[in-house]
Amino acid sequence: MEATGFRAEGITKVHRNGVLANDGISLSVAPGEVFGLLGPNGAGKTTLVKQIIGLLRPTSGRLWLGDYDLVSDPDAARQLCSYLPQAQMPIDGFRVREAIQLTGRIRGGRGPALRRRTDELIDALDIGPWRDTLGVKLSGGVKRLAGFAMAVVAPGSLVILDEPTNDVDPLRRRLLWDVIRQLGQAGTAVLLVTHNVLEAERSVDRLAIIDHAKLIADGTPSALKADDRDNLRLQVMVAPGAVTPPLPGWVLSSTRVGHNLMASIAEGDAATAITWARGLVRDGTAEEYALAATTLEDIYIRVTGAQPEADAAEPARAGS
Amino acid sequence: MNATAAAVRVRKGPRRWLRSYRVMLRWELTSLRLFIPVTIAVQVLAGAGFAVGIGLLRDLSSQEAMFLATGTAVITLVLVGLILGPQIIAQQKANDTYDFLWSLPVPRTAAAAAWTTMTVLIGIPGMIAAVAVAGWRYHLNFHLGWSLIPAVLLTAGTAALIGYALAHIIGNPMITMSITQALIFFVIGFSPVTFPDERLPAWLDRLHDWLPFKPMATVVRDALSPGLGTDVGRAYAVLLAWFVAMVVLNAVVLGRRE
Repeated sequence: MEATGFRAEGITKVHRNGVLANDGISLSVAPGEVFGLLGPNGAGKTTLVKQIIGLLRPTSGRLWLGDYDLVSDPDAARQLCSYLPQAQMPIDGFRVREAIQLTGRIRGGRGPALRRRTDELIDALDIGPWRDTLGVKLSGGVKRLAGFAMAVVAPGSLVILDEPTNDVDPLRRRLLWDVIRQLGQAGTAVLLVTHNVLEAERSVDRLAIIDHAKLIADGTPSALKADDRDNLRLQVMVAPGAVTPPLPGWVLSSTRVGHNLMASIAEGDAATAITWARGLVRDGTAEEYALAATTLEDIYIRVTGAQPEADAAEPARAGS
Repeated sequence: MNATAAAVRVRKGPRRWLRSYRVMLRWELTSLRLFIPVTIAVQVLAGAGFAVGIGLLRDLSSQEAMFLATGTAVITLVLVGLILGPQIIAQQKANDTYDFLWSLPVPRTAAAAAWTTMTVLIGIPGMIAAVAVAGWRYHLNFHLGWSLIPAVLLTAGTAALIGYALAHIIGNPMITMSITQALIFFVIGFSPVTFPDERLPAWLDRLHDWLPFKPMATVVRDALSPGLGTDVGRAYAVLLAWFVAMVVLNAVVLGRRE
């Protein structure tokens, strides 16, 4: 199976202005696998993607899809890979159905099979009411779903999706993930670029984290969490206006994002932690708390030192 | 659902090129569906307005009127190519859709050919309007022969390819638009298109022997009013050389990867 999948071998890209965007990145995506590419803004994810689809040439390294050398044959790369960019698709002048079908034709689809596939996607994503609506009149979420359908209508061997769920409502997000799963079942490799760590944890088979141009971690979500297997995450919603409470010694590490205080604790301290958090709620310092298994987000924060989708962060002080 | 994935055949060759050309032409026409009627209306107004407006300055002799009419036809054909390409591509770069369009699996030259075809089609109604209105206003009789076809296609096609190449070569869309606007002023004001070449200083006229705009005027003028243009064979040769050079330049520019 692996032989027909996607492989990046030691991809390094130095931009003309001297900026090092990718530094020796190697990864592989098997047919049927959903692979997440995570990393903070500016980490080099989009640069990597642009090299795969032949818009940029690597400074060094090789890109393979099965036996095809994507670096030496960008025309083949574009036929084999389909791409949903992070920006909205240019479909103001298109009706939804027309945009999906015409992209399918550009990607080599034809006839009744293409029409059927278009209608199936429209139904699967529940955007039937906008089937004949012009792109210019669509809401951001429906336009995003139409763009997603354009990217997967004739998917090729590798589908690259850059933040596919942006602007999409929670119900239709699920439908979108169902379609991605079906792509995998049909043998397409899926490369998912995202900042949304929680969503990725639920949806990907394997993932890699890129930071400062380098690949710093990769594996299955559970393998990446292995080091934190015996730990739990205590989440406390600090009441508006309240200061961060002093943290007890059994807290292993912590971060505060807005009102959300997250602490990593050992499994054995769970009962003590609940008592402590209840006390905070009782005296009005916190509104609520939750104790849960460690998530990929905790790992992501630990390895990148960044906070996904954080707009305000203030580290909590270690206390008594 | 039946996603037809795994085995994807990589296609090459002329049949794929033609198929890509056809489907990209449809893509371009649909993509600008909301914009094309307005552009054509502006073109028609500009062509007709220019043809009539200049004549309001003073009474024109019939030969002067013929120069103006045929020159205006050329300007309407050139304007679309020089303005539309840079403007649309500037927009694509500004809203980040440029990368998606260039990730589509079509030969770059087929996409460029589709774009050029659309631009030529958009330019023709304005040209017809200019010629028709001038004919009515100045009582001119035009010759409508087959030579009009290569003259119009070469003129509009070369202009479209110049605009397209500039839009892709220059990274900053604002600079591209400034350059093409300067080019338009050069074509209207300093090129022997709507006036005879003897009105220009000799050095500028000599320069125009090698630029595409005077040959464009010569071939269109000769097609609409045989005998009015001089050195027509040479004009076709120069214009054809420009056309081929622009095809090659676009192929090189669109094929490069940073």
